[in-house]
Amino acid sequence: MTARFLLSTAVTVLVAAQPVLAQMMTEVGPGEGQVDIVAWPGYIERGDTMAEFDWVTKFEEATGCKVNVKSANTSDEMVALMNEGGFDLVTASGDASLRLIAGQRVQEVNVDLIPSWSAVDDRLKDAPWHTVDGKHYGTPYMWGPNVLMYNTDAFGDSPPTSWNVVFEEMTLPDGQPNSGRVQAYDGPIHIADAANYLMYHQPDLGITSPYELNADQYAAALDLLRTQRTLVNRYWHDAFIQMDDFKNEGVVASGSWPFQVNILQSEDQPIASVIPIEGATGWADTTMMHVDSAHPNCAYMWMEHSLASNLQSDLSVWFGANPAVLAACTDGRGMQTAEGCTKNGLDDFEKIKFWTTPVSSCESQGECVPYYRWVSDYIGVIGGR
Amino acid sequence: MTGGQHLTARISDAFWRHPRLLLAVLLTPPLIWLGVIYIGSLLALLVQSFFSIDEFSGLINYQFTLKTYAELLRPSNFDIILRTTLMAASVTIVAAVIAFPIAYYAARYAKGRMKAFFYLGVMLPLWSSYLVKVYAWKLILAKEGILNWAVDGVGASAALNAVLALPVIGGSSLSVSYIGTFLVFLYVWLPFMILPMQAALERVPVNLLEASGDLGGRPSQTLRHVILPLALPGIIAGSIFTFSLTLGDYIIPQIVGSSRRFIGQAVYAHQGTAGNIPLAAAFAVVPIVIMAIYLWVAKRKGAFDAL
Amino acid sequence: MTVAVEFDHVSRHFGAVRAVDDVSIAIEEGGFFAMLGPSGSGKTTCLRLISGFERPTAGHVRIFGENSENVPPNRRPVNTVFQDYALFPHLSVRDNVAYGLMVKGTDRRRRQAAAEDMLALVKLDGYGARKPAELSGGQRQRVALARALVNKPRVLLLDEPLGALDLKLREAMQEELKSLQRALGITFIFVTHDQGEALSMADRVAVFSQGAIVQVGSPQDIYERPHTRFVADFVGSANVLSPELAARAGGPRHWSSLRPEAIALAKPEAARLTGTVTGTRYLGAVNRVTVAVGGDMLTIALPAVQTVPADGAEIGLTWPDGALHTMEAE
Repeated sequence: MTARFLLSTAVTVLVAAQPVLAQMMTEVGPGEGQVDIVAWPGYIERGDTMAEFDWVTKFEEATGCKVNVKSANTSDEMVALMNEGGFDLVTASGDASLRLIAGQRVQEVNVDLIPSWSAVDDRLKDAPWHTVDGKHYGTPYMWGPNVLMYNTDAFGDSPPTSWNVVFEEMTLPDGQPNSGRVQAYDGPIHIADAANYLMYHQPDLGITSPYELNADQYAAALDLLRTQRTLVNRYWHDAFIQMDDFKNEGVVASGSWPFQVNILQSEDQPIASVIPIEGATGWADTTMMHVDSAHPNCAYMWMEHSLASNLQSDLSVWFGANPAVLAACTDGRGMQTAEGCTKNGLDDFEKIKFWTTPVSSCESQGECVPYYRWVSDYIGVIGGR
Repeated sequence: MTGGQHLTARISDAFWRHPRLLLAVLLTPPLIWLGVIYIGSLLALLVQSFFSIDEFSGLINYQFTLKTYAELLRPSNFDIILRTTLMAASVTIVAAVIAFPIAYYAARYAKGRMKAFFYLGVMLPLWSSYLVKVYAWKLILAKEGILNWAVDGVGASAALNAVLALPVIGGSSLSVSYIGTFLVFLYVWLPFMILPMQAALERVPVNLLEASGDLGGRPSQTLRHVILPLALPGIIAGSIFTFSLTLGDYIIPQIVGSSRRFIGQAVYAHQGTAGNIPLAAAFAVVPIVIMAIYLWVAKRKGAFDAL
Repeated sequence: MTVAVEFDHVSRHFGAVRAVDDVSIAIEEGGFFAMLGPSGSGKTTCLRLISGFERPTAGHVRIFGENSENVPPNRRPVNTVFQDYALFPHLSVRDNVAYGLMVKGTDRRRRQAAAEDMLALVKLDGYGARKPAELSGGQRQRVALARALVNKPRVLLLDEPLGALDLKLREAMQEELKSLQRALGITFIFVTHDQGEALSMADRVAVFSQGAIVQVGSPQDIYERPHTRFVADFVGSANVLSPELAARAGGPRHWSSLRPEAIALAKPEAARLTGTVTGTRYLGAVNRVTVAVGGDMLTIALPAVQTVPADGAEIGLTWPDGALHTMEAE
């Protein structure tokens, strides 16, 4: 741990010292034979896990670009890997993308070189997590809401409609208290979920974005989370552990991803999900290109390929997420259907506040609590402080 | 003679004439590795920990300050240090107590096939992936896991519930309590205690034990006055493993336990997106300091005198 | 006389190996008793049966009349000087010596004083603060001795105590041990494979072979009147004469022994036997001459001052009456 941390720190320092000025590509030439991608686990499948989920083999045959994937489990890991270099692309979430742009680790993408750009969901084309000063730093890949997952046995005829089941002490419809039976995400970004809840229930706090909080709003969110700590036995950070906790640890409600909901339902577990009245936070991932990409032509080819509706369709089924290309839900080129997309929350886009890194100089109110404070304070909250 | 000499022969001659040359050739690469990569990163770490993060901009302020170390004393951070150190200490003590009879049996009595079986038994868990073991333990300790089932089966749930009802170390199930984290740490690091201990006990000559008995020492006195002092370097070596491995681990408390952070997790959380490298570095220095103090005390107490 | 240690049909088997096989012997109190034999002959196992590190497979070991089978080593009135001393490396010389008193609960001041007295007895005053590793072999030997004696044992067991010392030191220590035993008056039981050591120090010697005692007696008995060819050969490398040769030499037709130093050169007409010189080894004080007598070989020891006959010379051999010893067994 320490050694790896040291190494990445040392590299960060070295790399950050170099001035970087990259020119945007103006044409796509012949492929360089390979493309190296940092991706979330399960994002780039070549049929190894399940034969029918393969969107790499054909791309390699068609372009001659061999796809090498490096899995990263957290946004921090992605940032660290991109800082080390040696990669062409990364599937960055909103809490990493702006940092990568600000750190000049990624380059501007020429959308004119990507024919499928026109097919991208209009709601995502100019999304702020990859567009800075009108420049695009990548192509949207997938997005999804952080839904409220719950056990239908515990809630019976009255499914939850509010996040209050995980934030406030109460008795659940099955007559048992919720204490010890709910979970929350084990990352500081969960402070935004608390802020989102307060935004609805305490409008006088004046929260306009759960990612941009002034000192008072922030303190209120932490207070809410301290209450939550008394209800939560263990926070979750790994999808499979959370599924196990729902099955073996008696957990009945938690913020979660459609991914877990779909898998648990496929196992016939009594599981359902909802986007509560307060709305939800969510994630949107972007394929971004490294500033020193060694295989830029293959990288552009992959970005084009990543927006193909059949890939987007299959991936959206596989990952339980929403495609960046709307046609993927309807054109029948992949496995996804319109109902499937609705289930994954495609129509709830407006209710979703997408993950983005909190910074001190924020748009809505000038001075906000920056992310590093979120980190240390959330550690304190989980530690019972 | 010189004309037909092969290069390899000349090289070996040179090494023979200058023994230090060979030493230099053999030692330089590992020393560079140790010196530059290891010591270098350690120093880089140390330097980082004396910087601070600017409260408002979140940027690193490259000015020497002790402010970041003062941060460590904030209750929420100090909790982490205390929690990790206590955990490491209890894991080490209990591991030593459990490992001793096993190591003693293996060193003194196990022969032939039993000895092979012992080594296999101790080493086998080390061959499987660490993560697999930890996840397996999560299933074992779960509320609806096999351990609870077995405890229920023998009608001892009342006892288990009483243990889980203890403040601080208890919880709603073993899997989400400190006891669970402790059990997994203990299991995962136990071989690292047994093996050095066994090696040390094996090196205690049998005739010293006989001498103690011959001079009137009861077995318990022999243990206290002869075996323990002579095996102490091995016990210390084992405790260095279990103590430092527990101090630095950030996976186990993430999977089993109540999500309260340990030092390794704090380091991980503060670097990366948070960008609070100085605090991460200061946290990373803590185990180093604790280990240094531990070794210093051990040396002062004469733990290495029998070496 | 009280019997200090008694073996009553004692056997100790390790699987198929009969390390000690039906040994019976009584060792009297106050004596200096040697167990002599080649390695693997069972003498060390006998010593360990007394100290309690081994338990008999059959028979009884009695210490001052008491059956000792169920008495652990720490409760036996015996102490041991181990072969390689077995000093505790982590304790100072003083604490090593005081160990036996410490485990008995003697308070610190008294046991340290006793240890210093004992160190003085073995002439190591002033060495108390050192660690065993800082001492020479002979000094360690003395510490081991002091450590055993401080407990005032009724029987002191010594397992090859001088084996690791060089010749000069060994001879000096032999003297010291002997006088120490006389001064203390306690029983010393002493294991060695060195017949010279056994003969020069002990009052009584038991010769071991293959787990059994083949002869017990005074050093003179053992040396001059060996019971068997093994004893004759092992103790002092005596010439063993076959019944035929013994008869030719004028003795009874029986296995006999003849000490090399008992043989002198003689004129052929006055000789008891004649033979041909086949070789000479110079050993300092004596020359060891091999003589072929018919098909047998005899060794004679001639004082170095005497002229040695050349190889191939025909010589006559003679010896005093009674030097040719007829053995009881083969």
